[in-house]
Order: sequence, then C-alpha cells, then structure tokens
Amino acid sequence: MAAQGFDYVIVGNSAAGVNAAAALREADPEGSVAVFTEEDRLAYSRPLISYLVAGEVDERRMVYRGVSFYRRLAVELFRGEKVLEIDYRRKRFRTSQRRALAWKKLLLATGSEPSVPPVPGLKEVPWKTFIGWDDARALLRATRHPGCRVLVMGAGLIGMKAAEAALARSARVTVVEMMDRILPNALDAEASRMVEERCRERGMEVITGCKLMGIEPRGRGSGIAALDDGSEVGFDLLLVAAGVKPRLELVGEGGPSVNRGILVDESLMTDLPGVYAAGDAAEAWDMVWEEPRVNALWPNATLQGKYAGWNMAGRQAPYPGSLSMNSVEFFGLPVLSAGVVNPPDPSFREMTEHFPDGTYKKVVIHNDRLVGMLVAGDIERAGIYTSLIQERMPLRRLKGTLLSRSFGHVYLPQAVRRSRILEGEAGIRAGRGA
Amino acid sequence: MIRIYPREEYCTGCRLCEIHCIVEHSESRDIIKAFKRERRPQKRVEVEESGHLSFALQCRHCDEAPCVDACLSGAMHRDDRTGAVVNDRDKCVGCWTCVLVCPYGAVRRDVGERKVVAKCDLCPHLEVPACVANCPNEALVMEEV
Repeated sequence: MAAQGFDYVIVGNSAAGVNAAAALREADPEGSVAVFTEEDRLAYSRPLISYLVAGEVDERRMVYRGVSFYRRLAVELFRGEKVLEIDYRRKRFRTSQRRALAWKKLLLATGSEPSVPPVPGLKEVPWKTFIGWDDARALLRATRHPGCRVLVMGAGLIGMKAAEAALARSARVTVVEMMDRILPNALDAEASRMVEERCRERGMEVITGCKLMGIEPRGRGSGIAALDDGSEVGFDLLLVAAGVKPRLELVGEGGPSVNRGILVDESLMTDLPGVYAAGDAAEAWDMVWEEPRVNALWPNATLQGKYAGWNMAGRQAPYPGSLSMNSVEFFGLPVLSAGVVNPPDPSFREMTEHFPDGTYKKVVIHNDRLVGMLVAGDIERAGIYTSLIQERMPLRRLKGTLLSRSFGHVYLPQAVRRSRILEGEAGIRAGRGA
Repeated sequence: MIRIYPREEYCTGCRLCEIHCIVEHSESRDIIKAFKRERRPQKRVEVEESGHLSFALQCRHCDEAPCVDACLSGAMHRDDRTGAVVNDRDKCVGCWTCVLVCPYGAVRRDVGERKVVAKCDLCPHLEVPACVANCPNEALVMEEV
C-alpha cells in the first residue's frame, strides 16, 4: 500500500456495508475498496440469529456473503479490525491493529447497539442482549438445560424473536413489556392481540403494561426482577431488548451532524463532503412520514447501502426514501406490515377487514394516498400494497377495492397496470407524483 | 434472457398456466401424480380476474429486484447465466420479506418440510416456459430481451 490508504473505506460489514461495497464496485471498477469490521466473521445475517438458536439454520447458512463475494469484487475485508478513531479533517483513521490509514471517501455503516434502560440492579447481573451472533451463542449456552428461566425485557421485534427462540430451546420464557401490547411499533392493536394469543397458547408468559423496577442478583446469572405491579419474576438469564439506537461512537468531534442518527441527504452523504452514512446508524428520508427517520431494519439498510455505494462512486442516484416494514411469523401466524400502521391523528383513515379464514387486513390512507398496510394470516401478494405505498399514487376509486380478497393489478387503472407489467415501473422505481 | 408478458385481450382466465406451472415444478412433472399423489408445489404464476378482465402474471425478473435487495438470508439472487431472479431454497429461511416487498405479489410461500418461498424461475429445463407453452390462446408470450 504505497498511499497507505483506500479510495473507499466502509466501516461496518453488515447489510449496509456489504451492499455498499457491491454497488461501489458496480459503479467504479477501478477504485480500491476496504471494509472494516470489529467482528472476526464473514458478513452474516443478523435477523437469522433467532433461527440459529431455534435450530432452524446452521452456522453455514448464517453467512450472508461469503469469501468469494469479496474476492470477486476485489474488495479488501479487514475482519476483527475495529476502527477506533476517525480524523475527519485529515481524512485518516486508526484501527485496533495499530494501523493509521487514509481514505478518500468514507461510509459509516456502523449499525446499532441496544438501548439499555436504567433499571436499578441491572449492573449486578450478567444480562445479555440479542442483536449479534455472539448473543445467539450466549442464549444457546444458557438454554442448554431445558427449563432455564429466561426473562425478556421488551416485546419489540428483538425481544419477541429472542423469546420465541428461547421457547424453541424448551426454556421457560417470560416477556415483560412497558406498553400495553406486544410488538407495539411493528403491529397494530388487533394484530398484536392475534400474535399474543398464539404466544400464550404455546406457553410463553407475556406481561404487558408493566415496568421492571429493580433487579436482585441471586448468583450465576440468575436473579429476581421486581415489576411495578408488585409481582416478582425469577430468571436464570435476563435478556435486555428495549430497542436499539444508532452507534455513533465514531462520529465525535469534527464528525458529521447527528440527530438521532447520522443525518444524510438524498445521496446518503452527511454534511461532510465525501462522508456518507447508511443503515441503522443513519437518519435518512422516510417516504411516508416525510421527514428524516432512523429505520433500523434490514431491507432499509441494504437499500441505503446500495444507494450510498452508487453515489460515492459518482453515480447520480437519489435515494427513494425509507419505509418502515416488518415481516414476522410467530407460531404459524405470519404478519406483514409497512408504513403507518398506528395512525397518529384523525387525518389518517383506517380501513380494516376480517376474512372467514381468520385473515386480518388493514390499510391506512392519508391525502388520498396509501401510507400503511398490515396483513395477518394469508399474506400472499401483500407486497402489492407495499409498492402502492412507495408509488405515492392517488388512490381515487381504488380505495373501494383495496380490501377485497383478491386485490391485485386487475383493479388498477389500465395505464398504471400496463406500465407496471410491461415496463416494470413499480414500487420505488415508479414513485408517481411524490 | 427471456421475459414473459401477458396479453389481457386474449386471456380467458382458464388457469391452465397455473396448472402446468404446478406440474413443471412438481417432483414427478406428471400432471396426475402432481395433483393426486405428491405434495402439490406452489404455483409461480397467478391469474388475476375481475369481470371480463383477466391475465396471468408471474415474476418480472426486475432489473433492480426489491426481493434480492431485501432478502435477509442471501437466498434470493440473480442467476448470472440466465439473468433470472431465483431463490436458493437451501438458503431460504421463509422469513417472507420478499413477499413483503415484491410489487407484483409474485413471490409466494411454499411450506413443505421447510418454510421457503417459490417464484417463477423461467423454467430453466424447458425451451419455452410451461405457462407460455400451455396457454391455448397465446395470452402469454415470451420475448428475448
């Protein structure tokens, strides 16, 4: 390395980082690309850690992009090499391997870290969280004897996936959620109720509307949690799943501007020229809320990474915007949701329908545009709704057909149907009248 | 690569495309066995119908495919040789994220021994895809693009 540096440096080797590397190489066949990750692993799929614990995938299938990916793209991967400090003015960074290197363009794809609420006594027990491969290993180890008591703090997506995985390991699982229902962000009240019912049927204890007031250690990782209703829950393993927040420790002095996450423009560039951010760490434009938001979800991270890569390499590729979306399945009940599922005020119109087979559908409309959807049960073809949200198309007469059982392209105006089917103009590629 | 286009003015909604798609993706590729004896695979083409309007729709094999971008496991990918968007059923975990993002509703759950998704693979073993070859009205056409 004569120049002691790279044209493009990517910090982070997950959804955003990996897809940025591929997009960079696609748009710039020549420039040198380096990816740094503190984890001594190949890129793996973080959402699959619950599948790993439940025994539904093996370690081999955890790999998202293997060695050949980096070789084929001529991207240098520095595994187990943490970027410690970035000098944004001199365009230099320092790593845990005592290397000091230069970059021309930089992508911060540092992901998120768990939010840890200030519960008295939490420091006294070796609690775990559930966002990485090592967390999956820890849960596997803790649950090697059936009947292990696992207490999950928080019934968001991470908490519920952890709870489900622990249950598959024959653990005794209790979930405590502050809000009055599980998955309060991903689902609406009705879908929450449907999923919660399934979880209870399978033996998961779900306590909602309750706060953890204190933790009393009992040795070897176990302890007793006091709830604000006066009850107590004993545990052998405490999992903290109270949400995630962007990892910002590399931003520091002289770094890019930050709100909740690193603020980026339409090209995923921060307010420092040549410095980009993507994925869970970034706060990018949200197409439905029409404001910058952190959408810490895998599909948003991959797309942001891809657009960041293109733009870093000089391609003019405006990011179409993020969309909150979730696909969950608990005990045989799949639920898909996108956009606004819990409308904040009466200017949003909700329409819902229960079907004889148990399927539940909801659409949310604002200013004659579809801004949210949820389908629980028969989820086939729900992606058509997602694409209509992305297209921002005025609904007009379509409104009356949205909740029909066989909703599809037959109900779209002929011109729209043709451009979708014949020209491929659909979803974020269309973005009509945004 | 090839692309398949529907011609709604000729489609009668007979759904033979769906039948032959199922047969082609069955274990035996025999219509009787596929429907009477084996686990029936998921169809990869869907006839949409309302009143006099009908047409068959399958995966568009999008240039920038949302299912490939969104796939959690890395199973959904573009086949470098054929250009088709295909799912590696061994890597697929059945998380349904592709179902959530496909603008055409062209990826479906296919739950057998394992949970995976099924979608049009352009019938790599056939000269002409089964849905196109078996349409009595030429309401599905294949084009080289």
